[in-house]
Amino acid sequence: MRFDYYSEEQLLKVHEASLDLLKKVGISTSSERFRALLLDNGCIEKSKRILFTQDVIDKGLKTVPAVFKLCGRNDLHQLEIGQKKAYCQTLVGAPSVIDLESGERRDALVKDLEDTTRLADALDNIDIISPLFPRDVPQEIILTIETATCLRSTSKPLSICVESSRELKFIKELLIATAGSEQALREKPIATLPVSPVSPLEYGFGPAEALLDIVEAGLPLGIEPCPQMGATGPMSMNGLVAMHNAEILAGVIAAQLYKPGCPLTMSSRATFMDMRTGLALWAMPEMGLMSAGLNQLGRYYNIPVAPGGYCGSSKIADAQSGYEHLYNALMEALAGSDIIGSAGSLDNALVECYTMLVMDDEISSVVKRTIREFDVNDDNLAVNVIAEIIEKNDNFLGHKHTRKYMRSGELWIPPLSKRQTFEQWAAQGQKIEDMAKDKAKNLLAVHQPAPLGEEVEKEFTTIIAAAKKALM
Amino acid sequence: MTNEEILNTIIEGVKEGDEDKVFEWTNKAIATGIEPLVVINDGLTKGIQAVGTLFGNGTYFLPDLLLGAKAMDAGIKVIEPLMVDQKRDYVGRVLMGTVEGDLHEIGKNIVIMMLKTAGFEVLDLGVDVPAKKFIEKAREFKPDIIGISALLTTTVGRQKEIIELLEEEGLKGKVKVMIGGAPINQNWANTIGADGYAEDASVAVDVAKRLLA
Repeated sequence: MRFDYYSEEQLLKVHEASLDLLKKVGISTSSERFRALLLDNGCIEKSKRILFTQDVIDKGLKTVPAVFKLCGRNDLHQLEIGQKKAYCQTLVGAPSVIDLESGERRDALVKDLEDTTRLADALDNIDIISPLFPRDVPQEIILTIETATCLRSTSKPLSICVESSRELKFIKELLIATAGSEQALREKPIATLPVSPVSPLEYGFGPAEALLDIVEAGLPLGIEPCPQMGATGPMSMNGLVAMHNAEILAGVIAAQLYKPGCPLTMSSRATFMDMRTGLALWAMPEMGLMSAGLNQLGRYYNIPVAPGGYCGSSKIADAQSGYEHLYNALMEALAGSDIIGSAGSLDNALVECYTMLVMDDEISSVVKRTIREFDVNDDNLAVNVIAEIIEKNDNFLGHKHTRKYMRSGELWIPPLSKRQTFEQWAAQGQKIEDMAKDKAKNLLAVHQPAPLGEEVEKEFTTIIAAAKKALM
Repeated sequence: MTNEEILNTIIEGVKEGDEDKVFEWTNKAIATGIEPLVVINDGLTKGIQAVGTLFGNGTYFLPDLLLGAKAMDAGIKVIEPLMVDQKRDYVGRVLMGTVEGDLHEIGKNIVIMMLKTAGFEVLDLGVDVPAKKFIEKAREFKPDIIGISALLTTTVGRQKEIIELLEEEGLKGKVKVMIGGAPINQNWANTIGADGYAEDASVAVDVAKRLLA
């Protein structure tokens, strides 16, 4: 099943507008390495902005891998990024959580990072885990501690968003310790590392340096700016898509010029501003629509895409957050998504919520079911079966065709919601969020992630101590 | 045209967010001989107050406010050179900036615009501002309030650093500190000893006024 947001002609117009921006407006950076790389490859510098030429653009876009592997730390999880499988990734960077017991918003703690990661590890339809930002650890080594905590609490692949290269050395060491060797990590990367340049079209110092260092380390890169319509991007949706695409392409090209063939994703975050309060909204329908357009561009370039989609403006896990998350994620999946981020988020991706993570697991399940490929053939068209049943004046329930398709998964089985009789429901009268909360508690009570092993734990202790010494 | 009609046209220009119109009619007002301070108080300021009222009652949105503020500025630029000994009255003085390591400024800029609209004098230090620069500029500019913005969860710690430095430099208490940014909440403000926090730009103006009361 495939949805096109733009017609072919419209898509080319948006693409041309992005190239126009790269050629006429370009990007800025204060990283000398980043600047030199682009200029050495044929970019032009004009009043402190780096402008791209068609040659540089063509060269950079030619070598991007259409598919790459992302693995868990054991063989259970092997993802093929680029096959449009709509892998579900958890929210990155939330400073707050909704407490599972009290339902109140409070600061995120390391215990929450362990628990949300462990919960995501237990949920079958969550594929990639990104950390929240705990307040009770030394902030100088927060990413190092997050990476170690996530690696301990899940065997699924990770996504560690970095703002600069500051802690990159230690993040890489932890990943190598887990993978066994640098070679093993390169062959089976267990984490993607997104960087977030500033919109509009600004790579600064930290993001530019981090981008190059991630590519150097051989780890899959995500290019993840986050413009807001009407504030850090134009108020017209097409304008925002064109600009967002341009700023992402700039990073794609730079990465490819640095190491041709390096794996990466175009990780759009097309948001908008509330024109009354100035709040950044990660809501619907605009985010889903713009992301669908950006995904279509990714498909056109044959570059994997990873938008944020399990998000909305609701402050609690409720009907609003349910339909917001489903709308955005489904729009993106239908337009072809490799990864869809922000699962478990509330309040415009600022708050992490255990209950919502369980609801997003269910939404992810139906999103993946929706885009599952299928054949149309004589057997599933079932003309003969229909004729036979009518001829015998029978019903379908007792036919082998029914049993066969039931067993082969024709019906979606909700991992969370129930569809019992009214009377059975009324006995408990639970809403979906109540059931999600119970499921979160039950999973947290019993689920244990695959252990790391003593040797790896020892190495972790050494690496964290070294990070403390170097950075605090 | 009477003076009143000229001033009303300036008010309309500010309400419409029309820089050219305000520039043209402010010049006309001066050429007609209206006192500069009168043009500010009975023209430009009344215009921006009307914009504020329209925003307050839900008719106007943030872009209307920004365009109104820009239109007012177009008039102020004409008048400022003429006001040699007269000083504009401000509600208070605010020093604003985004912390070191953070290049995000849209939220800060909206707050600055709202503060200016409400009659504050604001000095903007821009983005990626080291703690030391906040202190240095605070000594020079002598603000009533320092506003510190941070968006990244990895840079909010800088707000704490600035407050600690203010304490060391003996400025804490003499100048109030307000913090803001998407990941910020009241709890963080309490933790680091900030005097004020606001969840959006409108509330920021209320908090600033309260801190000066």
